[in-house]
Amino acid sequence: MTTHDFEDLLRELAPRVLAALVHRYGQFDACEDAVQEALADAVRQWPVDGVPDRPRAWLLTAASRSLVDAWRSDSARRRREAMAGVLEPVEVADQDDTLVLLFLCCHPALSPPSQLALTLRAVGGLTTAEIAAAFLVPEATMAQRISRAKQRIRGARFTLPSEAERPERLGVVLHVLYLMFNEGYTTSSGPELGRADLTAEAIRLTRVLHRLLPGECEVAGLLALMLLTDARRAARTDHAGAIVPLAEQRRDLWDTAMIAEGVALLERVLGSGPVGPYQLQAAIAAVHDEAAKAQDTDWPQILALYDVLVQVAPGPVVTLSRAVAVAEVHGPRAGLAALGTLDEEDRMAHSHRLEAVRAHLLERAGDLTAAGESYSRAARMTASLPEQRYLMLRAAGLRSPEPPRA
Amino acid sequence: MKYMIMMFGGLGATLENRTPDWITGMQEHMMKLDQELRDSGELVASSKLIDPSQARTVRFQNGVPVPTDGPFAEIKESLAGYWIIDATEERALEVAARVVEYTEFPMEVRQVMHL
Repeated sequence: MTTHDFEDLLRELAPRVLAALVHRYGQFDACEDAVQEALADAVRQWPVDGVPDRPRAWLLTAASRSLVDAWRSDSARRRREAMAGVLEPVEVADQDDTLVLLFLCCHPALSPPSQLALTLRAVGGLTTAEIAAAFLVPEATMAQRISRAKQRIRGARFTLPSEAERPERLGVVLHVLYLMFNEGYTTSSGPELGRADLTAEAIRLTRVLHRLLPGECEVAGLLALMLLTDARRAARTDHAGAIVPLAEQRRDLWDTAMIAEGVALLERVLGSGPVGPYQLQAAIAAVHDEAAKAQDTDWPQILALYDVLVQVAPGPVVTLSRAVAVAEVHGPRAGLAALGTLDEEDRMAHSHRLEAVRAHLLERAGDLTAAGESYSRAARMTASLPEQRYLMLRAAGLRSPEPPRA
Repeated sequence: MKYMIMMFGGLGATLENRTPDWITGMQEHMMKLDQELRDSGELVASSKLIDPSQARTVRFQNGVPVPTDGPFAEIKESLAGYWIIDATEERALEVAARVVEYTEFPMEVRQVMHL
């Protein structure tokens, strides 16, 4: 078994071992620490001694042992409690409690950054150091964030949410996975290489969720969206790490296997249940991915999907993206008019995106001076370095007689 | 010793009327230098800040702190980004010189105080 294989195995087992421990002892907080220690033991010992015959039982034993050690070094009262429980063999629950764990880590009482961090550690089996590196914060900061998050949900019950709560709670879980994916996707270029791992981890966890809840259309929709988006990774940036817009990407670099998987997932769920925002966004991504050349893109189809998305999940980002589709179907002036429908508050909050889209549409409408000013304004407003570089170059390209670099 | 190497000014000040080639060249120059500082183990921290036109300044007005739009210093004197490197002063000055050589825009080098 290669290192890669056993790391995959460890990370698949981690949430199940943790769930079994929590079922038995309660105390999510202490159990989570114990599982991290067991994982660290496995990483040290398995490459030397080989992977044990029953890896899950091995991890459970190791985690139980470190739980007892932790309690031993704790107060005498807690030691007695612990010993009473741990002397009996640990029963391994057969059901997959990964789902319960996922709901717990995405508890609504936690802030999104805490939900993300805790999910990566408790469900993803990543170490605090790895999570800190992924979010570019010091390890001590991340350790504190995770520890606070665990304290906060100490009283929460380790069960699935009730039927009544379930749709909303599942929505939070999907949102956390979506954020994890975007965190990795939007900043995976340039010198910050480790962040691509967040994208892979988001896909892995969404796959797990889809396996556990195959009937949930939005789970399938989110997985499809991730696959259809990540399929373009290799074409999104050039050799220097600069952003390449969709229309200029080398489509032969797109991952056809990922596209096929995403499309197949979508075909299975579309029409089988209520259509939600993730399925719609995935469907839009699929239309892009299925065009062999940018000019083959079926824009009327994309606009029709945005028209539904605006109904199902209205928001400023949707309005902006829809304006681009309007421009493709009805011309740049119509697109600019569609931008005008954003209300004042959304214009403020999404100003750099709005300016970037406006600049692009003005350029296509032939108003190069106004386009250049809009690109410069957008460049000053964005907090993303690759995006700023891209916008600066577009602005400079319109100022100078030579064409902008492709 | 740790030194902070500071760059000033907003995009308008440094990039107005520059060609795309000049801008691309500057980015490559900066990324190469940044990578060199990482690879050599000299880099302690580095950040690039959003354009100073987006800054807000909290001022004490009529007895209460009030956030106002705009940077504290003039835009061309506002901090744009920094490197902190663990090296000699001579080396820090050399790093700054390599940027200034390209941008022709001043940089400041100052030692970080220790606790």
